[in-house]
Amino acid sequence: MTESSPLAVAVADLTRTFVRSRSRLPGRLKRRPPESRTALDAITLTVPSGEVHGLLGPNGAGKTTLCKILSTVLIPTSGIAKVFGHDVVVSTTRVRPLVGVVLGGERGLYTRLTARQNLMYWSALYRQPTSEGAERTAKLLERLGLEERADERVETFSRGMKQRLHLARGLVGNPRLLILDEPTVGLDPAAARDFRGLVRQLRAEGRTILLTTHDMTEAEELCDRVTLIDSGKLLGTEDPRTIGEWLSAWERVTAEGVPAELIDRIRKVEGVAGVEIDSEGRITVETAGDGTSAAVLSLLVDGGVTSLSTSRPSLEEVYLHLIGSRGLNVG
Amino acid sequence: MIRLALAMARFQIAAMRRSPHDLMALVNAPLFTVIFLAIVRYTGRDDLTGYAVLAPAMITVFAMALLASGEIIANDRTDGRLELLVASPSPVAVVVLSRIAMITLVSLVSVAECWLVARVLFGKAVAVPHPWLFVGTLAAIGLAMAGTASAMAGLFVLTRSARTFQNSLSYPFYILGGVLVPPALLPEWLRPLTQVVFLSWGTDLLRDSLSEAPVQRVLPRIAAVIVLGGTGFLLGAWLIHRVLLKVRNDGTVSHA
Repeated sequence: MTESSPLAVAVADLTRTFVRSRSRLPGRLKRRPPESRTALDAITLTVPSGEVHGLLGPNGAGKTTLCKILSTVLIPTSGIAKVFGHDVVVSTTRVRPLVGVVLGGERGLYTRLTARQNLMYWSALYRQPTSEGAERTAKLLERLGLEERADERVETFSRGMKQRLHLARGLVGNPRLLILDEPTVGLDPAAARDFRGLVRQLRAEGRTILLTTHDMTEAEELCDRVTLIDSGKLLGTEDPRTIGEWLSAWERVTAEGVPAELIDRIRKVEGVAGVEIDSEGRITVETAGDGTSAAVLSLLVDGGVTSLSTSRPSLEEVYLHLIGSRGLNVG
Repeated sequence: MIRLALAMARFQIAAMRRSPHDLMALVNAPLFTVIFLAIVRYTGRDDLTGYAVLAPAMITVFAMALLASGEIIANDRTDGRLELLVASPSPVAVVVLSRIAMITLVSLVSVAECWLVARVLFGKAVAVPHPWLFVGTLAAIGLAMAGTASAMAGLFVLTRSARTFQNSLSYPFYILGGVLVPPALLPEWLRPLTQVVFLSWGTDLLRDSLSEAPVQRVLPRIAAVIVLGGTGFLLGAWLIHRVLLKVRNDGTVSHA
């Protein structure tokens, strides 16, 4: 594979184990043996060039570990990971100019410096001449809506603005592969919507994007394909429409003032996975099949219930359905 | 690579302007000068005025190497910037060494500061009869100090316990480096140790450059400063390489 490779990311049998030394137990002289934890367990994955690929999984699933290996920050224990055909362990100098990385959170910036100074620093690290760096910095600040605050200290920025600056930093090197690790965590809905719009623009520019997220709706909206990962194992790669089906399949219907007789009838509807009644008499109907929600809603409306709503399950709830009750355990 | 080094040096200027803590040593330098000059005046040893001006300047240069330069990698790691730096196409060692070189250059301002304190507050204009030797020695000390600082920057990340001794590292260095007291006046058993500290050669040369007498063995003594400082550079580059390999292997690049 070369830089014209159709595969932006090719990962085979990738494993990463962390070994952690442990302190002595009280009253014992000998140290406890080191504890090892497998964050990635023989993952195999390919991402074609130009794709927006989602990595979905609960905390501790191994998403960030994979992002760090692909960005050369972390060395894998075994297996192979390539970016545009270049091995991330032995060809770091070829990989790094091709990759932009946004690892999420507020860390990673020089908060006492301005947004422009931060971006100029990173443009220099991506080996751009000063004039080119200044031009690119100005364009990115404008594109990310930060031009009015460009010369203010980053420490005065809101979380959303810092996140946008991180994204600008990730783009300053004009990367072919952009790794976004939970980029919308902590953003308000408007900022998250703007961010999604930007991801679409970047996709239209032909960039490959690897996006980790907890948000299934976001994954469904943005990604060409989605890989589910849990406890370091790859569960599968799906079309986002499949996720849409999961979301609608496990929809919930909540209603108030539902007569007991109607509740019994709802329990008998095909596809109803369960009905819970809280202390205030409100019921939550969990569905597990296409069209079940519509049938339940129809029954409720026919029964004269007017206070009702539907909601989609969270990623964690879908995980509970997909992989059982240990779905939320951090491995 | 030169473009990168210059860009990092410019960046370091901007970073220091926003971080007064890194420049505190430059604020302390005139105060130390006043103390040393007051002692010299009280004892009636005007011949030691040059010593009293050089000592606080060298203390400042080392303090900035220890506290500003030595913390560069550790601070970037704590603030989550090191992993982004590692992921960039630029060699971390070049970035760190360029920034340290600029800090060292700024720290040399203390020489002028201390000279001015003597001139303005004490009316003593320290003459420099061997100006080229003085400037050349300062340049060699600057290079050697940057090398030593790069080694410390790596060491403070590799061995966290070393940071515990960070502040107390200064005093042995001041003594062995002959900052105020020439190595020749130290106890005999201590003198061999001073020979492996580049600053002891440097401070002796600086003091000699302030004297009218011809200076003996200039080249070998400057060479000693450069060789010992160069060893620091090599050690620093090696340590930075080892540090990065270790933290990438351990998965602790972003650990605070």
